[in-house]
Amino acid sequence: MNGRKIMSQVFDRRRFLKTAAMAGAATGVYGLNAPRAWAQEPEKPKEIIIRAWGGSWVDSLKAGVSDGFTAKTGIAVRHDLTEDNEIQPKVWAAVDQGRVPPIHINWDTTVNATKSALRGVTEDLSGLSNLASTTDLAKPVGLDGYPIINTYGYVYVLAYRPSAFPDGQPKSWKALLDPKLKGRIALYNDGIGMHFPAQVAGGGKLEDIPGNMQPAWDFITQLKGQSPLLGEDPDFTTWFQKGEIDAACTISTNAREAKKNGIDIAWTVPEEGCKFDTDGLWIPKGLPANELHWAKEYINHALTVEAQQIWLDGLGLPGVVPGVKPPQDLVNDPSYPTKPEDFKNLIRVSAKIQTENQSEWFSKFKAIMQG
Amino acid sequence: MRQTPAAYPLTWRIMDGLEAFVAFAWPARLGAAIPWLMLAPALLLVGLLVIGLVQIGDVSFRTLDPSTYRMSENYTIANYQRAFTESLFATVATRSLLGALIVTVVTLVLAFPYTYLMVRTPNAMLRKLLLTALFLPFFIGQVVRAYGWLIILGNQGMVNEALGLVGVEPLRLLYNYPAVLFGLVQYMLPFAVLMLAPALSAIPEELEAAAESLGANWVRTFTHVVLPLARPGLVGAGLVVLTLSLTDFAMPAILGGGSQDFIANAIYDQFFRTSDQGLGSTLALLLVAAGSLLVGLVIALFGAGTLALSRVRR
Repeated sequence: MNGRKIMSQVFDRRRFLKTAAMAGAATGVYGLNAPRAWAQEPEKPKEIIIRAWGGSWVDSLKAGVSDGFTAKTGIAVRHDLTEDNEIQPKVWAAVDQGRVPPIHINWDTTVNATKSALRGVTEDLSGLSNLASTTDLAKPVGLDGYPIINTYGYVYVLAYRPSAFPDGQPKSWKALLDPKLKGRIALYNDGIGMHFPAQVAGGGKLEDIPGNMQPAWDFITQLKGQSPLLGEDPDFTTWFQKGEIDAACTISTNAREAKKNGIDIAWTVPEEGCKFDTDGLWIPKGLPANELHWAKEYINHALTVEAQQIWLDGLGLPGVVPGVKPPQDLVNDPSYPTKPEDFKNLIRVSAKIQTENQSEWFSKFKAIMQG
Repeated sequence: MRQTPAAYPLTWRIMDGLEAFVAFAWPARLGAAIPWLMLAPALLLVGLLVIGLVQIGDVSFRTLDPSTYRMSENYTIANYQRAFTESLFATVATRSLLGALIVTVVTLVLAFPYTYLMVRTPNAMLRKLLLTALFLPFFIGQVVRAYGWLIILGNQGMVNEALGLVGVEPLRLLYNYPAVLFGLVQYMLPFAVLMLAPALSAIPEELEAAAESLGANWVRTFTHVVLPLARPGLVGAGLVVLTLSLTDFAMPAILGGGSQDFIANAIYDQFFRTSDQGLGSTLALLLVAAGSLLVGLVIALFGAGTLALSRVRR
């Protein structure tokens, strides 16, 4: 036996004794408190899994909600960056088959979440204590109770590169039809965000949604003539940064992200208005009781002023808890509505109407854009 | 003469034991079943695929109820009616089929000289270089390669920067149909070369030398000797490229700018965006049918090429 082995054994024995002593002490402490702890709260899981969007979105959630939750409860939070549309069928299948779903909480668009609520795979969240201190925005429109809790709102603004608009900011969505912008504009690839302003820009009325949306389709057909790029959230930031586009209908967060990266970008709410929508958190059915409890606690924590302040500072979006202050760069910004008059030019259609008509609207938008 | 134990090695005894065990476990009368036993894994896999197709077929006859986001209990052909009557699907199907045909032809035209040079060159270094260039793309996934083209062909990409040096304004090289086809050809080229290489290697060089010695120039040698003998490779490579292009998802999604969808993108949209599994299943089955018909047509016209299941020539 050489010296290194002897030292190793001594060290290992010492480490073992030390570890055992610590474990014993810890057990003793927990042993004293255990009955009380069990009486108060269900067993803590090692981690809970939150589905989230990547990039600055998940960074903001982590900084604002997840880190605080872990500090408070000791439960680790894992962020699953599976695309929201792709996690949905997995969760639906798990619930239908009586399996434990792959995530504890889905951070989702309210429209997508409403589909899950209509399907009956969401847990009821109406008992959360912090709901009492939220604004009306937290309540999903057109649904009973709280199968989803909206956590913030956002505006699909007209984002633009000021150098492409030398006469000043565009006043109307019709500015996108300027021939010099051909091939230089971008929309969401499912048309989301553009349907309702297009209804107004096309000469129609919002009250006619969903019955008669021909004006919207007419305006979108005109936009098709401009050969728009069609993408998703990260694409807009990239396209602005790479000089591919000069204007887009996108969530203000994406334009703000490009601006943070040094690109000269501005945004506005044109006279026809902008779509206002919400994202939310929901819990799929089928979780063990203790994990359901802690998933609810996570959402409850997300509804505190402290969590919302940090989370939504990162996203640049208005929250659902009074007292959250806008970031310095978004004070009085039209994409950050805080007062009732700020909503005057924003268009909000219930998630239920949107989900019930999504397939038809999607097909019509695609038929125009793929033609 | 009776053998001593030393003259009958232990390994032979083990083999005898194993033979006896096999004879017991699998009697000679079951010998005819051996081919089926060898086929069992493949049959299992195909069986699983068939089960999946049956389930997809079942869902394709159900419609989505947007008030509950569940599929209907009753059967209907509504999804098939939509697939055949809505202009969106006709546009996407036409684009996919036409794209697959163009990509197949262009890929074969580019792959042929590459493969010919690779198998015929006497220069070992050049052959290694061509082989390395062939296999390198396999280590890079399709999505990464597509993003590579975004960097090269983008508005501020290398090509436009080079054009800018000679005073040319940036050109829109991405997010259109030619960009998708270009990406697909680049992706399919190694597959085609791999399929063509065995066929071209099998053509004896002496045949070409004989044709030339009989007075044929290289064009006549190529058209009357090389090309006919390379047909099995061309057909095999063509079938692989055709089917892979027809069902591709990533290139249209990344290089098409959202307005150049292929059928696979339309299927994805139905499954994951509108949650309409019924229509998605219908489109998936129609894609399988269209692909199978196309492959069947090619095989009927030209044979199965190197994919043929013929017996070895004697």
